[in-house]
Amino acid sequence: MGLINMIEVRGLVKTFPARGGLLSQKAVQAVKGVSFTIPDAGAVAFIGESGCGKTTIGRILTGLETYDSGEIYYNGQNLTSLTPRERQERLRKIQLIQQDPYAALNPARTIYQTLMAPLTWEAKRQQKNRDWMERRAREVLELVGLNPDVVLGKYPHMLSGGQRQRVVIARALTVQPDVLVADEAVSMIDVSLRLGILTLLQALRRDYGIALLFITHDIAAARYIGHDGRVYVIYQGEIVEQAATDELIQSPVHPYTQALLSAIPVLRGLEQPGPDRHIPLGEFALAEGNGCRFAPRCRFAEQRCRDEKPPEVAWQHEEHRHTCHYPTPRRVVPEPLEAKS
Amino acid sequence: MIAEQLPQTPLVRPHRQSFLHIAWRVISARPSRILGLVIIVFFALMAIVGPLLYPHNLPINPNAIYAPPSLRYPLGTDFEGTSNLALIVTGARYVLFAALMAALFTVFFGTTIGLVSGYFLGPADTILMRITDFILTIPGFPLLVVLSTVWNFGQPIAMGFVLGITGWGGLARAVRSQTLSLRERGFIEAARGLGLPWWQIVFWEILPNMGPYIAMNLLVSITGGIYAEVGLFYLGVVPFHVNNWGVMLNLAVFTGGAMQSPQALPYLLSPLVCILLLTLGVVLFLDAMDEMFNPRLREG
Amino acid sequence: MSLHDPVPAPEDAGIQIRNLTVSYDTDRGRFHALNDVTLDIRPRHITGFIGESGSGKTTLAMAMMNAIHNPGRIDGGSVLLEGAGDVLRLKGEELRRLHGRYFGFVFQASSNSLNPLKRIGAQLMDLGRSHGVTDLRALLREAKTLAERMGMDGDRVLTSYQHELSGGMRQRVGIIFALVLKARVIILDEPTTALDMLSQQAVLEIVRTIHQERGLTTVIITHDMGVVAEMADRVVVLYAGRVVEEGPTQSVLRHPRHPYTRGLIHAIPRITGNLHDVEPLQGTPPDLATIPTIGCVFRERCPIRAPICDTVAPTPTSAHGDGIVTCHGVDQHD
Repeated sequence: MGLINMIEVRGLVKTFPARGGLLSQKAVQAVKGVSFTIPDAGAVAFIGESGCGKTTIGRILTGLETYDSGEIYYNGQNLTSLTPRERQERLRKIQLIQQDPYAALNPARTIYQTLMAPLTWEAKRQQKNRDWMERRAREVLELVGLNPDVVLGKYPHMLSGGQRQRVVIARALTVQPDVLVADEAVSMIDVSLRLGILTLLQALRRDYGIALLFITHDIAAARYIGHDGRVYVIYQGEIVEQAATDELIQSPVHPYTQALLSAIPVLRGLEQPGPDRHIPLGEFALAEGNGCRFAPRCRFAEQRCRDEKPPEVAWQHEEHRHTCHYPTPRRVVPEPLEAKS
Repeated sequence: MIAEQLPQTPLVRPHRQSFLHIAWRVISARPSRILGLVIIVFFALMAIVGPLLYPHNLPINPNAIYAPPSLRYPLGTDFEGTSNLALIVTGARYVLFAALMAALFTVFFGTTIGLVSGYFLGPADTILMRITDFILTIPGFPLLVVLSTVWNFGQPIAMGFVLGITGWGGLARAVRSQTLSLRERGFIEAARGLGLPWWQIVFWEILPNMGPYIAMNLLVSITGGIYAEVGLFYLGVVPFHVNNWGVMLNLAVFTGGAMQSPQALPYLLSPLVCILLLTLGVVLFLDAMDEMFNPRLREG
Repeated sequence: MSLHDPVPAPEDAGIQIRNLTVSYDTDRGRFHALNDVTLDIRPRHITGFIGESGSGKTTLAMAMMNAIHNPGRIDGGSVLLEGAGDVLRLKGEELRRLHGRYFGFVFQASSNSLNPLKRIGAQLMDLGRSHGVTDLRALLREAKTLAERMGMDGDRVLTSYQHELSGGMRQRVGIIFALVLKARVIILDEPTTALDMLSQQAVLEIVRTIHQERGLTTVIITHDMGVVAEMADRVVVLYAGRVVEEGPTQSVLRHPRHPYTRGLIHAIPRITGNLHDVEPLQGTPPDLATIPTIGCVFRERCPIRAPICDTVAPTPTSAHGDGIVTCHGVDQHD
């Protein structure tokens, strides 16, 4: 893994203006001062429930959403100081892979047309001709494991979910991205085909040094793509725990991380549940007051948790950080059974 | 990075079925569509080559005024003894060309303004929608009546322009609302993320998704245009410079007294039946539009 | 208890499916979505139907309720429901009454099956009325209790519109709808696909608890082996409209006999253990139009394909004690 941090984000804040409806009558602060880094060719995962703000961060990074405050450094350059146009130009190298491969491809355009649209502009920038564009279109399709002769002339509705997601990745590759932001990129794909997409992302990172930001609730998938990477656990717009992937899985100290990890299905017969596994049944309630945001759902919460907001501190070493008053490592993930015959 | 090692694979352009090929398959799927197409092509040919078949000044025959249909005059004659068939054939060009122009103007303005308004939102949207509301409140037909007093409608393009310019409001509204829903879709966000310019997103990514809707609107606008102009001529509010179907209707009713005397009936009915027939053709053909322009309905 | 119909369903509602064949009429021809399926759904068990898209798992569940609609058609076979006889012979009002009395169906995306213009409570009362429940108050009370059991605020849920609820809550509401009429057979179609891990586990936990408490017959349709492994007592592996393996979940997971089952299990990235143990399943999910009509339907994707697979369709053989497996290669591979 490279030593330089390709992307460094500090104190990112995003507030969505108030909207009608019973649930959201006041402005929603979706991201509350989030800081993280993505190393060159690194793998970073954001995990958390739906609505925790992880998707918003991905959309900000890919230029689809603005942010209210905070700094984004990209290869050492502060994007906040750039004009919106220049910022957009830089952020083009960070490409989003959306969750829904059915919505991400234009139903009225063939795969050929879909790939040619961005390639036309790439060709203009690099002063290449049409031949180059066509070769490049075929090349990116081959990179994602599709046969160009079969796919190019087709419309998206003629492809399966897995094939579509591969086309989406191919399209992102046309601009030679530095970072791919995969937002639940496999959750709508048949489980049997998911691994193929994950392996592809893994290969792109290994062979072409494309860094991955993997936004997901499926921690096992995040681990598969980047077990040497880093996981950030996000709860209601804040990072509550961060550590190297395997360390976070083996010894999570924040009760929220433990709840998320407990939720991983156990393959009974092959695995046994972790001894401390516990799944909270309640739906998430927005915390009020100044205390820990997770306190209302936390089964270990004490009075201090409700009164006082826990600061971010290190656990055992600098790389493993959390925001919990009473950090306790617990074993919650499924453990493989011994005999496998 | 990746781009530098290009494998020298032979270039094969993707095989795509041509539009004509698809169109024919769609149309031939139902006899009604073929009938619609035949009717439309028939009238289009009439408009294009019709005037060439007859002398500029159609011969008159004082011995056969308001003659009933016969071998010589298949559709009868008018007040001067001119063949109604010749009048229909030579009059088709003005009517159809003006209606086509009207439809093209309607679709062009309606689609462009709706797309731009719906994609950009903000101030551009506000201004464009105010203009659209203004256009929607203009009563098109009375405006034409007023305009005709100062404007010479001898050229069909002028007529088409005026009909189009007053008629695009509704389409603009509809296109805008479709754009609003399409711009939130994943593929539009992806296009923005890829740094595509706005006009490419609007016209190459969003517009094709409305293909069927716009094509149908074009056809419907043509029939609308025919009704409007024929109506104008029928009422006699537009000066007659050239022969056309509307003029025929007017003369048949007000000069020939076709409402009272059966003599002038062939003179009245021939343009009327043509209009009905053309409308029927359009309606029958309309059904094919969705499949022709909607790639989702195409097979693998 | 006026909640019940005059004749309550028997406690143990097992289902025996025999030689069930269902076909769909498409513009490319008529295809078998289910082919000669024979299966026992045991009472008081959770049965998982697992397979990729196009495997026929949802069709099987719908056929069990005789709820296949055009362009689908049940071509043959029987579905014997304890206490009700052959479901496939019923129609009209009789069938509707049976559905209300026996079956609770939770749709894939419950939000799509809820009326966006009516409050949840009002929809519950509609449901009660349409099935002849006289004491609507008791029905609402029951729904409220269920909602609270599921970690929701009962009053709030009943007075909400569906758009005011989160995805996890809607899914729970779907389960409440399936349970209030005291159904004996609960069928959940991909109950957790759109949910995140925590909501998924919460929903599964609720299903498990209520299943045990009421002694239900539960069927979970899913493409996620994890869900089956967590929940099901027995698993039915479907491929291209055929049952390729069936048996007790733990045994199937530990010793999968069919190469397809093995592939499914190996394709799941795990949270612990060696990352290199997983491998993707080859090929693409079955397409009804292109699956072979002679020989084994799985052979194109099969790692242990033999010449016999091209010509002879494998027949079910006994496996996992009281289960079955449908593969020519089972003997040399265990």
